[in-house]
Amino acid sequence: MSAADLMGPTDEATTLPRRKKRDWLFGIGLTIVAVVVILAAIGPWIAPYDPTSVTPRIVEPPPSLGEIPGLLWGSITGTLEHPPHWMGTDASGFDIFSRVISAPRIDLSIALAANGLSLLVGVLLGLLAGYYRNVATGLLMRVSDVLQSFPVFISAMILVALAGRSTVNIIIALALLYTPIYIRLTRAEVMSQKVRGYVEAARAMGNPELTVALRHVLPNSLAPALIQASVTIGFAILLTAGLSFVGAGVRPPTPEWGLMISTGANQIILGEWWPSVFPGIAISLTVFGFAVLGNALERRYDGG
Amino acid sequence: MLVRYIATRLVIGIAQLIGLVIAVFFLIRLLPADPVSRLVGLNPSAEAYAQAERQLGLDRPILTQLLHYLGLAPEEGPGLLQGSLGISWVTGSPIVEEIGRHLPVTIELITLSFLIAFVLAVPIGMLGALKPGGKADRGVFIYSLFAGSQPEFWWGLLFVYLFFFTLGVAPPPLGSLSPLTSPPPEITGMITVDALLAGRPDTFVEALHHLMLPVATLVFILSGPIIKMVRQNMVRALRSDFVLYAHCAGLPRWQIARYALRAAMAPSITLIGILYGFMLGGAVLVESVFSLSGIGQYSVRAVLSFDYPAIQGVVLIITGISLLIYLALDLIHAVIDPRVAY
Amino acid sequence: MTAAEAPMLEVRDLSVAYGVGRDAVRPIDGLSFTLRQREIVGLIGEAGSGKSTAALALMGLARPPGQIVGGQVAFEGRDLLAMDDEALRRIRGRDIGIIVQNPRGALNPMLKVGRQIGNAYRAHNKATRGDSKRRAIDMLRMVGINDPERRVDAYAHELSGGMAQRALIAMALSSMPKLLIADEPTSGLDVTIQAQFLDQMWQTVQETGSAMFLVAQELGILANYCDRVLVLQNGHIAEDAPVRQFFAAPQQPYSREILRLEQDTAEGGITSSGTVKADAEPLVRITGLVKNFPIKGSSKVVQAVHDVDLAIAPGETLGLVGESGSGKTTVGRCLVHLTEPTEGEIRFGDQTLSGLSATALRQMRAKLQIVFQDPYDSLNPRWTIRRILREPLDLHTDLSRGEKDSRSRELLEMVGVDPGLIDRRPQGLGAGMLQRLNIARAIATNPSFIVLDEPTSVLSPRAVVGLVDLLRRLQRDLGLSYLFISHDLTTVRYLCHRVAVMYLGQIVEKGSVDQVFNDPKHPYSKALLAAHLFPDPSQRRVDRQDRRELEGEIPSPIDLPKGCYLASRCPSAKPDCQAQPQELTILPDGRSIRCWRVATGDLADQEGLQHAV
Repeated sequence: MSAADLMGPTDEATTLPRRKKRDWLFGIGLTIVAVVVILAAIGPWIAPYDPTSVTPRIVEPPPSLGEIPGLLWGSITGTLEHPPHWMGTDASGFDIFSRVISAPRIDLSIALAANGLSLLVGVLLGLLAGYYRNVATGLLMRVSDVLQSFPVFISAMILVALAGRSTVNIIIALALLYTPIYIRLTRAEVMSQKVRGYVEAARAMGNPELTVALRHVLPNSLAPALIQASVTIGFAILLTAGLSFVGAGVRPPTPEWGLMISTGANQIILGEWWPSVFPGIAISLTVFGFAVLGNALERRYDGG
Repeated sequence: MLVRYIATRLVIGIAQLIGLVIAVFFLIRLLPADPVSRLVGLNPSAEAYAQAERQLGLDRPILTQLLHYLGLAPEEGPGLLQGSLGISWVTGSPIVEEIGRHLPVTIELITLSFLIAFVLAVPIGMLGALKPGGKADRGVFIYSLFAGSQPEFWWGLLFVYLFFFTLGVAPPPLGSLSPLTSPPPEITGMITVDALLAGRPDTFVEALHHLMLPVATLVFILSGPIIKMVRQNMVRALRSDFVLYAHCAGLPRWQIARYALRAAMAPSITLIGILYGFMLGGAVLVESVFSLSGIGQYSVRAVLSFDYPAIQGVVLIITGISLLIYLALDLIHAVIDPRVAY
Repeated sequence: MTAAEAPMLEVRDLSVAYGVGRDAVRPIDGLSFTLRQREIVGLIGEAGSGKSTAALALMGLARPPGQIVGGQVAFEGRDLLAMDDEALRRIRGRDIGIIVQNPRGALNPMLKVGRQIGNAYRAHNKATRGDSKRRAIDMLRMVGINDPERRVDAYAHELSGGMAQRALIAMALSSMPKLLIADEPTSGLDVTIQAQFLDQMWQTVQETGSAMFLVAQELGILANYCDRVLVLQNGHIAEDAPVRQFFAAPQQPYSREILRLEQDTAEGGITSSGTVKADAEPLVRITGLVKNFPIKGSSKVVQAVHDVDLAIAPGETLGLVGESGSGKTTVGRCLVHLTEPTEGEIRFGDQTLSGLSATALRQMRAKLQIVFQDPYDSLNPRWTIRRILREPLDLHTDLSRGEKDSRSRELLEMVGVDPGLIDRRPQGLGAGMLQRLNIARAIATNPSFIVLDEPTSVLSPRAVVGLVDLLRRLQRDLGLSYLFISHDLTTVRYLCHRVAVMYLGQIVEKGSVDQVFNDPKHPYSKALLAAHLFPDPSQRRVDRQDRRELEGEIPSPIDLPKGCYLASRCPSAKPDCQAQPQELTILPDGRSIRCWRVATGDLADQEGLQHAV
């Protein structure tokens, strides 16, 4: 509810015009996310090189702008010795372009799986904690308080490093750290929804309590958690990359953006910018895309 | 009302810390890592392995280890209650001392970054709020969304490439001072402050020069959420009923501005606290890029070498400081906005 | 033209717009009217017609992102809209004061109310901090706040809604404005306080030669206090008539519609929803109902309902009236077992509800329904109307999908909602329509009894008329019984056969509508009726000689007095009243009353409230 509804709740709310959304920013966000999702599905197949095997060409810079048309023509006609390295190669000889477009599969699946898992668990526990307020759910909230006070990045690092640097462990670690957020959001919303008139009406109509909780309260309490999820997906990508960057994430040579930036970090002082810059642009745009989407959802929900 | 509020918050905070200590203690022991073999190397003899295990105290029952760590078994040596976080398994020095050396570096870095980010972000956020939906607001909004969703370590590297390699105006990303400069005598642990205390302005300037890029990186990242928050709170305050009513009552402009500013700042303060607490652990990536030996770097080293006492200590200290900051800022919030303690 | 005759406020072609270009909407579009000294002008209009926008625009303000896009607002001959900011600021608050809806939002949450009132005062008067604080205390006392020396240091969130409303009034009046704009200033207040405040404002206008622009949703307020009535439609004034003329011969279709029930009543057509057999076996019978709510961390309880007996015959409407906190809503909720009674028996037909198993009670709900106060809140916002109406049918019938659909459409037709809306969601529909949907859902399973918990309290006048019509028709067609809970005596009079008056959890008087409305016996009923504003300009409250109200504050329902609950406020109280618990006694004319003085004939009519000094 926006502050604008307050002074004349019955009077003004209906007179405000419905703004037509010709929102180019939202369009950009949606496009970015769509591209990333598509790459997650087909990236490794359309990559010109195997993202996990090296080529004999080490630290080859990307083609200059002037070379691009020729290389394009060459790759169409098939007159080149080998497919061009559009983004150059890194110190081990990996083709950066192939790795950049293969990485969404890892990054996005970690982010989606971790969020899906914590969303599921968090919403159910939040419903429970908001609907039944007793000793058990009180304890649940205290546990979630403690979990939420962990420093996120360091805790993720500890969990992954000590459990073993695998994709599954990263997912579990992130899910564990994100769950309290969803518990808290859902619980708060459940508590405000369960006292509303339509819930009373459902009861007065003769619905069993479980039906009231699952069919009426739950669907109306999902929005805050879902909005949060759309934002958190972006942050999960950042965190995954950050873990790789400090050496506590996925193992090389997995094509993952953070890992690629990390392997290129030592060369950047020497002026070899491309091994780090291209994967960085990919993360930067992807997370921005999710932030835009999350923000749009948030504003739609708030009615602003 | 306020006193009771503080007391409640303190009790909750301490309970939370105790819960956290125990949770971390068990959590890292539950995970399938083997710190002993990490220390003794690959393929050790059974004897060497057992000896190392005994040295680390890992052969004892886990509850005994916990009591020892908490300091409830003082005959075995000092624990938490006695103000000790244990001895590092890797370096053999007391954890308290090690953290005491690394923490100020991080505090210096993020405090400076926060100050600058705040000073820049507040006017920019307000600029956006003055005419919501206008061109300036749109720009401010997109910037804040972008800056708030960026990989800071990558931007750090970009800055290095640009300002060190290409333009040559920044020092190489190799620590807080040039290796040739002897650091000032350690008093606070923050080099800029220590340099001033030691009366060495040239060292002070050099330290600032080295902080330039890491601080710029953090300011860029932090400015996103701060601008977004200031803008949002300011828009909300300016559109609030009580500001409209203040116009109705014919209050002078400056007084209405004060009403709105106060209403906008109150919720911002809490968010800044949360952000600061987050950065204590989150600055690790920037420290890593610029080789600053802060608490983040320290925790990376501790984690990668399975140094359990160090890991526990880092988590405890960071969380403890965060909770204290939340508390302090909540108190300020409660003073500004009487509804908070109500 | 002499100065006295010149209008104080002259509004011409005032327009307010939201948005720009093709998307722009103009809630106020060409508003024109005048307002003279010593005049109270009332503004009425549908929900969403822009009444609040109009009120604000008279100050030269629009809620952002809205803008005043044209016209003139001439105050004492000077156009506010053509002034520079500083000159306008000096007029706002000093010459023109405004009271808005939602007082708590209008008060700064971070400043003590005394400081705010002081700031408003100091914006227009030379005063020190100490002066302005004293002024704030005086103003708070004037608007009837007890203990103003203490309240002056309270924050808005520490005040009740009514108290915040009065603090806002104190701020608006602090510089004694010549013109007061009041936007539903009494919407959150109980009738007795409403009457006190409006009396006071009326008197101020008469004595100081100021004027008032009063936005109202209630016909009663217009009839009792206004000299002229304006009807706002499509952003401009559709009708502008002296109050008596407006009520006697409304010109616009809209005006005629909202006054229809009143005119029917005046012609003697009350309670036309069929006759009820006096000796019929009651359908619902409540005996000895008690409801206490425990207080957390205390052994004490809140006595919400105390010893209530009620019986409702088939086809009958029983009105349950009382101020907020009287326990009338709790009675309704206990009746349908949404709240478990602490003690007492509720019989429905030949069954006792408290003896039923959870499953049997759920089945019973097909016959026993409730409609809630807030229509915006009572329908699942994510469901379509089709799904909402199908739910009771799913629960209580074995109809096929197709049959349920046709039943849903039939229900919509019964309550007068276009069946074409069946696939819409509740969002965006008006309160009146939503309340009809609530009723459609309630009657889906052919219940014989419905609790109506203040179903008209948030509706606009026109929607109230429609809903009263609908409820009467459904009663006639389906033989329904209602328990009609309301604080609005006007609607109760339109709709009910019998009425029970509650005060602090007890029924103090119960009888036919005729008995209670035309000849109330209990001192509390008398006070309640005296304070109620009936929409009849021929019997204006301000013209009555004596308007004595109950004094003091309502006792806390946690520590109730031993004797009569009203004793501390009752003008006819004797020492015995304080000591003696009161019983509900049946009088010879059939009504029940909880006052020993009335029951024993000790309190003769002549000595009653109306003539007490």
